[in-house]
Amino acid sequence: MSEQEQARKYPLAEAVSPEQLQTETAELERLQQSPPWTRAWGYLKLGGPGYLDAATTLGAGTLTAAMLSGAAFGYKTMWLLWVSMGLGMFMMAACARFTCRGGFRVIVEQNRYHGVIVGSLMTGLIGTAAVAIIFNYGQYSIGTHLIESLAPMLGFAFPRQVNWVLFMVVTSYLTLSYGRGKRGITIVESFMKLAIATMLICFGVCLALVGVDWRALVRGVFVPWLPSGVAGVDLFVASSAAAIGVMDWILFQYAGLARGWGRKHETLARFDIVFGLFLPFVLVNYLVIAVFAGTLHEVGLAPETAPELASALAPLLGPTWSQILFYVAFLAVPVTTTVGMSIAGAIAIHEALGWKPDTRSLRWKVSALLPQVGFLAVWYPRPIWLVVAIAAFLSLSNNIVGWSFYLLLNDRRVLGEDRSKSYVWNLGTMLLLTLLNCVAIIYVFNRLGWWVR
Amino acid sequence: MIDLDDRYGPWSGRVWGLIVNLAANALALYGLAGYLRDGSHLPHLVIGVALTVGCIFLLAKPSQ
Repeated sequence: MSEQEQARKYPLAEAVSPEQLQTETAELERLQQSPPWTRAWGYLKLGGPGYLDAATTLGAGTLTAAMLSGAAFGYKTMWLLWVSMGLGMFMMAACARFTCRGGFRVIVEQNRYHGVIVGSLMTGLIGTAAVAIIFNYGQYSIGTHLIESLAPMLGFAFPRQVNWVLFMVVTSYLTLSYGRGKRGITIVESFMKLAIATMLICFGVCLALVGVDWRALVRGVFVPWLPSGVAGVDLFVASSAAAIGVMDWILFQYAGLARGWGRKHETLARFDIVFGLFLPFVLVNYLVIAVFAGTLHEVGLAPETAPELASALAPLLGPTWSQILFYVAFLAVPVTTTVGMSIAGAIAIHEALGWKPDTRSLRWKVSALLPQVGFLAVWYPRPIWLVVAIAAFLSLSNNIVGWSFYLLLNDRRVLGEDRSKSYVWNLGTMLLLTLLNCVAIIYVFNRLGWWVR
Repeated sequence: MIDLDDRYGPWSGRVWGLIVNLAANALALYGLAGYLRDGSHLPHLVIGVALTVGCIFLLAKPSQ
């Protein structure tokens, strides 16, 4: 192995033995010759980083937005989800290319070609690690609220001032399991798959109880609609650009490297992006929007916070068991997001600071558990000045990180003959970058008082 | 024809294209804000959108 190849190899992949990789590669070759259904089922079983990304992206913020959207607009804004996630797929495909054909660690290459401000700072430390720490406050806040609301339905009290310990133990165990060999990665990825299945089944049952206005749903999915005026522009730009961001790109790229993915895994990686990330993300959001469209929207209720939305919905779901299902599905959301963000944060801190990731080291454990500081949300609100600062930095830097990824994808020095040669792929990436630009510009215009109020 | 991957001063054509696209996006949104507020700034909106579309289609071209 050349020195450059050695530098590019990701240490977490060393936990995957060459025999395991050979077996997986042989399985992929066998699947390529198999009938479509066998191939799809095989890919579903072998996928993982896509589910990890979906479970991370489906966080408290995304679900709250879906609930608010369903309560306020009914089914009308459903089309935004597949459009926004669809645009994000182009960038995810770039991450798959970096992993499978490039075999490089993207932050290292960003540092080399675009400088440490873009790589280590914007992508690693702020775009991923700081986001994981600050935004985990929201996961703790909603997670402990949900456990507190769920417990009485099961016949006991479990206040959030106590139940945060349970939340911390479960999420810390799963976070630290990641990277402990192939088995540790499998445990976390399997948990993510199970959690997504729980969300789909439980929210699906709730929707079956509430009922669906199929005509309105089909219209909402396929006919674009936005509130009139500037509210519509804001909603479109924010939704389109916010579905997946820097953390999702980094998590997918490095999770693939940790699995030891190479050239023969690219088809699997693309399948994983569509069936592990796109479909679960869109379907879970659709189910939640439809549940709220069929309940709170019908009766004209529009609470503003997630706990209020959940409390307002519960009596409308009918029997207690259906309310339990809703709370269980909703609880899976902050748990999986905390785990995913913690893993992404640890990866990003190590890459940004040039540390070798060793999951047995104290340094890794501390980095991975930093987001657990979010338990303070049980007593204190998030430090607003910090949230504002991070949100501002994110708004202004996401597009620059996106530019960097686009440039790497088209750079002969980085990918050689494996660089993008597809006009459509670049076109989709450019549309996403333009939306990210718009987020940054609208942020600045708002500060300057130029945007419509 | 401009080669996007050649260097023009400090950066490649692709980087310059991204910068021009950002400026075009800003112009379009400035025009949109004015148009939504009181129907003004329509020329800014039209030029900004046209430049944005041009940049997107130009930058979508893969390297040779």
